[in-house]
Amino acid sequence: MSEVFLRRVEECAVDAKSKSTQLRENETLVEVEQEYVKQFVSKVWNDGISRHLSTITGLDLGEKIGIVYHFWQNQNLLHVRTTVQKTSPTAVSIVDIIPGAILYEMEIHDLFGVMFVGNPWMDKKLLLPETWPDDLPPPLLKTSKSPEIRKRLKLEVE
Amino acid sequence: MSESSNPTRREETAGLMKYSTENLVPFGPIHPALKEPEYFKLVLEGEKIVDVIPRIGYVHRGLEKAAESRPWVQNMYMFERTCGICSFVHSLCYGQAVEELTIYKVPKRAKYIRLIIAELERIHSHLLWVGLMGHWAGFETLFMWVWRDREIVLDIVETISGNRVHKSMNAICGVRRDMPENMEDHIVEKMKYLADRARYYREIIDTEETMLERTQKVGKLTADTVEKLCAVGPMARYVGIQNDVRLNAPYAAYDEVPFSIVTRNEGDVQGLLRLRLDEMIVSTDMVSYAVKHLPDGPIRVKIPPIIPAGEHSSHCEAPRGEIFYYVKSTGGRTPDRVKSRQPTMANLPAALEMLKGQTIADVPIVLTAIDPCFGCMDRMSFLDTETNKQWTWSGEQLRQYGIKYYKDRG
Repeated sequence: MSEVFLRRVEECAVDAKSKSTQLRENETLVEVEQEYVKQFVSKVWNDGISRHLSTITGLDLGEKIGIVYHFWQNQNLLHVRTTVQKTSPTAVSIVDIIPGAILYEMEIHDLFGVMFVGNPWMDKKLLLPETWPDDLPPPLLKTSKSPEIRKRLKLEVE
Repeated sequence: MSESSNPTRREETAGLMKYSTENLVPFGPIHPALKEPEYFKLVLEGEKIVDVIPRIGYVHRGLEKAAESRPWVQNMYMFERTCGICSFVHSLCYGQAVEELTIYKVPKRAKYIRLIIAELERIHSHLLWVGLMGHWAGFETLFMWVWRDREIVLDIVETISGNRVHKSMNAICGVRRDMPENMEDHIVEKMKYLADRARYYREIIDTEETMLERTQKVGKLTADTVEKLCAVGPMARYVGIQNDVRLNAPYAAYDEVPFSIVTRNEGDVQGLLRLRLDEMIVSTDMVSYAVKHLPDGPIRVKIPPIIPAGEHSSHCEAPRGEIFYYVKSTGGRTPDRVKSRQPTMANLPAALEMLKGQTIADVPIVLTAIDPCFGCMDRMSFLDTETNKQWTWSGEQLRQYGIKYYKDRG
């Protein structure tokens, strides 16, 4: 099962001009350029390579923000990693392919400030309070410090 | 919120349902007595729900950020506090992700103890849920009975770990406490009793009018919708999808203990009730087997406080479904990034879909059906599209309304 899965993932990766790496047994990582993400994900989903998106993780990689899509099929985990520039954090939304991704994208939007083009709920907040100041950096970026967040949100006990 | 007299304002209100939360009262969902406030905005057409807009995050404590400034071991106990019901499985999942980054292996005995605690937790969580379903359906006797039986599990957990809720059993590469001696017969006997009780409750929900009336054909979903919305755990299994990490990607000692997963095809709340009770019976068998076949040996390996650089993800089957942890280390004393995803987050889109087409009276049942970690239903906001009237109800008012609605209907 696992070998078939690997071969099919590799085929998809070649189409998206990217390379797949086997991290461990049953775990594969594919690094995809932002412009090919939608094509790759739709192939993975529609061809039934994986029919379950576990979650989407955001990562602060210094200059860039990493977005990792974690797919799960039987014993296999597939991580699809892409990056966006921190200066213009815009990514393509996969909600039209996988409707279940809507909350995960909103979460990354809240916590990393990445704008997902095509997600209908991008104007809403999911986790952050409504009183979150616009000029405060998104909380999970390394430049954002907890004491400052507490101070700006007036959470410090006097 | 009172009805607006200004016609343009009213128009805006109608438009806002889909696009903005501007007119909602943000004061309220947080209540010191309740554990997980969630706010759902229901769009109604008469009695019928046509759309639901969620607003979560009222208890977002920033655990992922906090984890970045805490040592690896301390994080384990912090993540255990994510949930007050399925606490153990969070530390297990985080621990497994970290363990993979080290060169150490978890001893076999520790794996068995982890399985025992995880399954006891599942029994306790499912019992709690069945009780709550009874409560929201107006069947208090079921609630009382089930919660009485839940004490048995909690007592066993307390004897093993010293705590009822936050077991703090896990360590990185092992468990902290060994099983007490001479507990084997006691646990097996109690598990047998609990399995009998579960069979009895199963009979009740299959025959009792109150439960049938409230749960049959309520919260209908198809397998296709569930798959698209990426629901996990019982929410996927109740439409027949074989989604269970224990079976598909075994961790701890799940590859050594025989068990079968339960799936059903009803696709309604009644199916969820049957599924969770059946699952409980399977869990009692697993605990009995694991206790009898507990291997000898050490229970933990001591590891240095610095975890080598690398990244790993791990997933486990919590009582509510798959939980997912991603851990990244740069070779320091603290993690670079920890991501945690809880099952309720994954099940929320499916729950919103379940609510569409239901009446207000079904809201408590359907929202409890996904087992939303004490989904607090206080301060629910209603908006009638015909009259544009908006009002709020507390959870208790909503419960009373549901019970009265079905009583009047006969």
